Amino acid sequence: MSFPTPDAADWRRAITRFVTVIPHTRGLGLTVLEAGPERVLLRLPWDDDLLGDTARGLLHGGVATMLLDTACGSAVLPALPEPEVCPTLDLRVDHYRPGVTGQALYIEARVVSVTASVVFTEGRLWQDAERPVARGVANFMRLGARNTPTGFKQALFAVEDDND
Amino acid sequence: MTEAFHDIEWLARTRQRGDVSAWLARIPYARRIGVSVETAPDGDGLLFRLAPREDNIGNVLLPALHGGVVAAFMETAATLDLMLAAREPRLPRVVDVSIDYLRTVRVMPTLARCELLREGRRMANVRVRAWQDDEGAPVATARLHFALGGVTTQDA
Repeated sequence: MSFPTPDAADWRRAITRFVTVIPHTRGLGLTVLEAGPERVLLRLPWDDDLLGDTARGLLHGGVATMLLDTACGSAVLPALPEPEVCPTLDLRVDHYRPGVTGQALYIEARVVSVTASVVFTEGRLWQDAERPVARGVANFMRLGARNTPTGFKQALFAVEDDND
Repeated sequence: MTEAFHDIEWLARTRQRGDVSAWLARIPYARRIGVSVETAPDGDGLLFRLAPREDNIGNVLLPALHGGVVAAFMETAATLDLMLAAREPRLPRVVDVSIDYLRTVRVMPTLARCELLREGRRMANVRVRAWQDDEGAPVATARLHFALGGVTTQDA
């Protein structure tokens, strides 16, 4: 089974599938606004479960880390010649200011460099585009085609019958 | 909720009692991912626990917990451990986090223990080690810096 080169809409569907198959991000309602080799852009609607301090209405810093990990991991797939399973090797997050209650979160990530063994990525998170909340740098291990389950790409790009 | 983190008297009182669970109860995301705390059986500080909830899964094929959820768990542990271990009641604010993933985090209870490597006047450095069935084979380690603001300082 072969596929033509995926376009922006194909990648958006594929990355949507990738993040909605993850129970944690599916549960929180993460959606994919854009996806492709250049970047991915995700959106998480506000939920009071995201709070780290209810009285002061502040986002839990760990939510930013979780979202940057997810976004950077999503950016890896379209940047490889063929989708591969790539676990996170390490992750660094800088918290510029606390996120605040009631506003959706936007997370952008891009691949900076790809080598035979590692994919280097970076991401940003904001609520107000003028005021970044956090930056992330994440490196992913390439496990290669041999350690990627057969059908991984097919599963990402399969055409779903919405009438099912 | 009147009893909250910015209430210095409540913070001092709960700290005096070592009531870290009262702090956890006021952190909605920590409740969502299922973080709990106990006194380490060896008497060596606090032991944090992440429940292996279905909702914490990040990879359904393996299956494995979401690495970002594990990071959030470790950050929660570091923050609360620091609040208890610090010289005075203060609200730490995370500045940066660096986490290394060492092994697949399987869908089973994950434990974490923290070490306060430095508490300065403005900054603290905390290390966290997370493991599952063997403390000697950690699934992840993390290093965090916290700014130590006064409780009364708005958005320190």
